[in-house]
Amino acid sequence: MPGQPMQVYEVFRREREGGPMQHAGNLLAPDPELASHYAREFYGRRQESVRLWIVPRAAIVDLDDPDLLQPPFDRSFKKPVGYSTEIKAKLAQARSRAGTGKAGEIQ
Amino acid sequence: MTTGGPGTTGEPAASVNQFDPETKQALANLLLATADDEFVIGFWDSEWTGIAPLLEEDVAFASLAQDEIGHAQALYQLLADLEGGDPDELAFGRRPEEYRHARLLDHPRTDWAFSVARRFLYDTADAARLDALVASAHAPLAGVVAKMRREETYHLLHMHAWLERLATGGPEPRSRLVAAMERLWPDALCVLAGVEGDALLVEAGVLAEPLAAVRRRWLAGLAPELERLGLPAPPADPPAGCRGPDRSDDFRWLWEQFTMVRRSDPEAVW
Repeated sequence: MPGQPMQVYEVFRREREGGPMQHAGNLLAPDPELASHYAREFYGRRQESVRLWIVPRAAIVDLDDPDLLQPPFDRSFKKPVGYSTEIKAKLAQARSRAGTGKAGEIQ
Repeated sequence: MTTGGPGTTGEPAASVNQFDPETKQALANLLLATADDEFVIGFWDSEWTGIAPLLEEDVAFASLAQDEIGHAQALYQLLADLEGGDPDELAFGRRPEEYRHARLLDHPRTDWAFSVARRFLYDTADAARLDALVASAHAPLAGVVAKMRREETYHLLHMHAWLERLATGGPEPRSRLVAAMERLWPDALCVLAGVEGDALLVEAGVLAEPLAAVRRRWLAGLAPELERLGLPAPPADPPAGCRGPDRSDDFRWLWEQFTMVRRSDPEAVW
């Protein structure tokens, strides 16, 4: 393995059982075995992780094309926000009209 | 070094009282030798902080060194529980000739291959020693050893990985590694030698077998890997004076370094 080129590895960690795998950071290593040792020392030596994923950056499918990710038209109707905020106001108005509104709600 | 009592599992008082004075002295010898080994290699290897071959290794190797200081802390605490005294005083309050680490740790850091070779020889010998202590009749020691073995698992993985890489990594790394191993082998045997009274400890169930037998087991386990990588084999016997009192100038220099802060104000409170 003389002169083996260094590769970037992205490291993901799970903080506690049931939690999501979250990006922790990255490191350089000449091979996956040393990458796993270094990931352990960087992101696991203080008992802060219960699981690590160590992924060569080269294995990541990278997507940043604005035509795919930032379409030019108004796409606000695709957002779920209508269900979380606007619907509350509409519901309050409907209750008010029907006379079933709770005390203190919008008249 | 006064946090908790890592050795306060089981019933230390009862366990300590079960030993006759000679056995208790032999246990103290073993604890001091093992603690000093961990302490001194921890300080030597911490010297790579900032100058290891790559940043990642720098962090990793320093972290392993810190682990060893933590093991030393737990073992000095066991010794203090056995004989009275203060773990900090044991760690920092002695003269260089009073330390009982193996001669393997009298050598300076030298180059990376040298530090890898030493660390590999030390960690594999220490693993054999821990194997012989994990079922110790001295319950507090068995408790500490069980924890140490869990950390030594990844220390061993790390050092096997580096040994392999240097041995097969081209002419220069290989020749440096071979030279280091030839230089270190005799003194490496000292890690499993030079503890007075180990036969008494075997009788009392503190240690599974005499250190000479642990040493043979260690070397038999290493032989296939050394042969596969074409690395030097050990000599037959350890040298005399395995654990002092004669100490190298290099160790005296390290002692000056790691006792410097304490000597500047021994009564200081953190």
